[in-house]
Amino acid sequence: MKKKLDFSAIARSKVTWAVVAEALILLVCLFVRPEFFSISYQPSTGMLYGNLIDIINRSSEITIIAMGMTLVIALGGTDLSVGALVAVSGAIALKFLRWDVTIYNTPGDYTVYSFALVIIVPLVVCILMGMFNGFLISKGEMQPIIATLILMVCGRGIAQIITNGKQFTTQYSPFRVIGQGSILYLPTPIIITAVVVAAVALFVRKTAFGTFVESVGINRKASRLSGINAQRIIFIVFTLTGFLSGISGLIYSSRIMSNDSNNAGLNFEMDAILAVVIGGTSMTGGKFSLVGTVLGSIIIRTIVNLVYYFGIAAEATMAFKAVIIAVVIVLQSEPVRNYFAKRSSARREAVKGGAKA
Amino acid sequence: MSNLQTAPRQSLWTRVTNPKFIMVYATIGLFLLIYLFGAIPYGDVGFTTLRTFTTLFVDNAYYGISAIGMTMVLITGGIDLSVGAVASLTGMLIAYGTTVMGIHPLICMGFALIVGVGLGLLMGWVIHYLNVPPFITTLTGMFLARGVCSLISRESIEINHPLIDDLASWKIYFMQLKDGEWVKIKPSAYINLNVIIFFVMLLIGIYLLQRTRFGRNIYAIGGSEQSAKLMGLPVGRTKVLVYGFNGLCSVLAGITYALYVKSGWNLSLQGAELDVITCAVIGGTLLTGGVGYMIGTLFGVMLKGLIPALITFNGNLLSWWGKIATGLLLLLFICIQRIVVKTTDRRKGKKRAPVKS
Repeated sequence: MKKKLDFSAIARSKVTWAVVAEALILLVCLFVRPEFFSISYQPSTGMLYGNLIDIINRSSEITIIAMGMTLVIALGGTDLSVGALVAVSGAIALKFLRWDVTIYNTPGDYTVYSFALVIIVPLVVCILMGMFNGFLISKGEMQPIIATLILMVCGRGIAQIITNGKQFTTQYSPFRVIGQGSILYLPTPIIITAVVVAAVALFVRKTAFGTFVESVGINRKASRLSGINAQRIIFIVFTLTGFLSGISGLIYSSRIMSNDSNNAGLNFEMDAILAVVIGGTSMTGGKFSLVGTVLGSIIIRTIVNLVYYFGIAAEATMAFKAVIIAVVIVLQSEPVRNYFAKRSSARREAVKGGAKA
Repeated sequence: MSNLQTAPRQSLWTRVTNPKFIMVYATIGLFLLIYLFGAIPYGDVGFTTLRTFTTLFVDNAYYGISAIGMTMVLITGGIDLSVGAVASLTGMLIAYGTTVMGIHPLICMGFALIVGVGLGLLMGWVIHYLNVPPFITTLTGMFLARGVCSLISRESIEINHPLIDDLASWKIYFMQLKDGEWVKIKPSAYINLNVIIFFVMLLIGIYLLQRTRFGRNIYAIGGSEQSAKLMGLPVGRTKVLVYGFNGLCSVLAGITYALYVKSGWNLSLQGAELDVITCAVIGGTLLTGGVGYMIGTLFGVMLKGLIPALITFNGNLLSWWGKIATGLLLLLFICIQRIVVKTTDRRKGKKRAPVKS
């Protein structure tokens, strides 16, 4: 038997409204500036160029973090430390990208330490910081928002002390590939993001982990009683988020080829949480949607890119972001969704009634 | 309240030694400890003077004012991330209004008051009636306020108005009787208008929380919103008013900050919201709601101000250590909170429900 499309369920789903929002934004854009959608190939760099590519490319830092954030929010928590971890990751990477100043006096294609160290050390430190969060929240039973506030407050200070308050630059080309290179005609960050999203999706959906996360998010006590090791789940999720923040930090610092402990990852925690919520995962925990999160992250970046594209002051981005996000969250809010769901089910009832008569 | 039967008045000692104040005492104790810690090595270079003590308030009055509103919001179990942006917007409105448009600063302040309180009430309404999580709603409010701020001006605007100058330079010096004459104590210590506004708001906050039905409702909602609703308390109205009151506090914080720096800048007070939350948490307010006192917040603000003061007196440390010290303080505090909660629970002989935020 063919399953009938249930419009009321679709109207009730938050992901639907995220799709509608993104479609509407792009539709408006299509009418105002059709050339926004053009994509061109640049043979000299072997990369595709275009606003759509750029939106996905530039959203990758947030998307990667938001993958972890989705699981954190599904557990009923929040992780405020991700932005600070991005700064720490970048600071460590640039610290290891120093070169021997007695030989060269300008930045160039050389480092003292091996490139493997440049990648591994920041990630390991971020994993450790994630574990610190995870430990406080799982074993210490602290509120996630407070426990991660500690690293949020400390993190930038730590990043500054790592680099002694200095801003380093580098021209090391293998490092440049992470944020500015290309693989298969696409910018590397898109590929990294795709791999991360696929890996996280496989991990949570092909194993029982995702179900465990949802279960702990809905009722921690009941899950514990049914044999789920809630503490371990929480610990793993926060560690994973730390790791993903580290990757995001590498991409960010590779884009600017420098460390910027004040501004790197600024407000990333807010953007990541917004991406997750726009994507339809409830902040009270429980069910989550990774696809929705990717979509949410792209919506946020679309707004930013549009503001740039239409030549509006960059600082005003926040106002536009606020207005569009306000519309999205109001559309997604319970009363509004219930209203639409009721209307569509009422119409179906009416159709049924008409058929009977 | 004449129809209410009030409980027999307890003696002062019983009231003061009530175990519910234990977190407040922990804050006060820690403040005294750190003060002593600074007083021993730096006592002879002026750490223990009245001047250093009053400077704590002069430099942190705007944090304190904002923390008063934030404490109320946190007690209801909510959170408000928009305070820094609203304060910044207030400063911007005053600066742009007086310097660029030539309007009287009092009118600008009045306008800012309407904007800030209006935004607070609107956010409260969205949180309660549309059931959008406070974190997301106020985050959007923050983006909106910052964005509007940047739309007004992207550069710092100086405030040049005789009234503002008079208000900013108005000081009360501490005097002492010397040879039958009142003279300023040395080194001169003073409090200014900002400190007075802070203490007036503090008294209003204490009165509202401890002596009115409104305050009782706030604690009841924080304890359990469901129960408060079933008891027939005006949950919606109280929540909306609390966010409105916090808007008022943010605007007052913005005005005092404008008096403090005499300029408006669209990026001022970035991240202040989390500093303010940190003050409240160090002061013993629980983010799960239902617990918190204004006196604790007062000492939280003082503690937060004491750390930069210590670093200034040391003179060798990078200012970044201040952030790390604040983070460690936060960690220490949460640990104390956990231990206190655990021991009181054990005394009551019940198991603690899992933490969720």
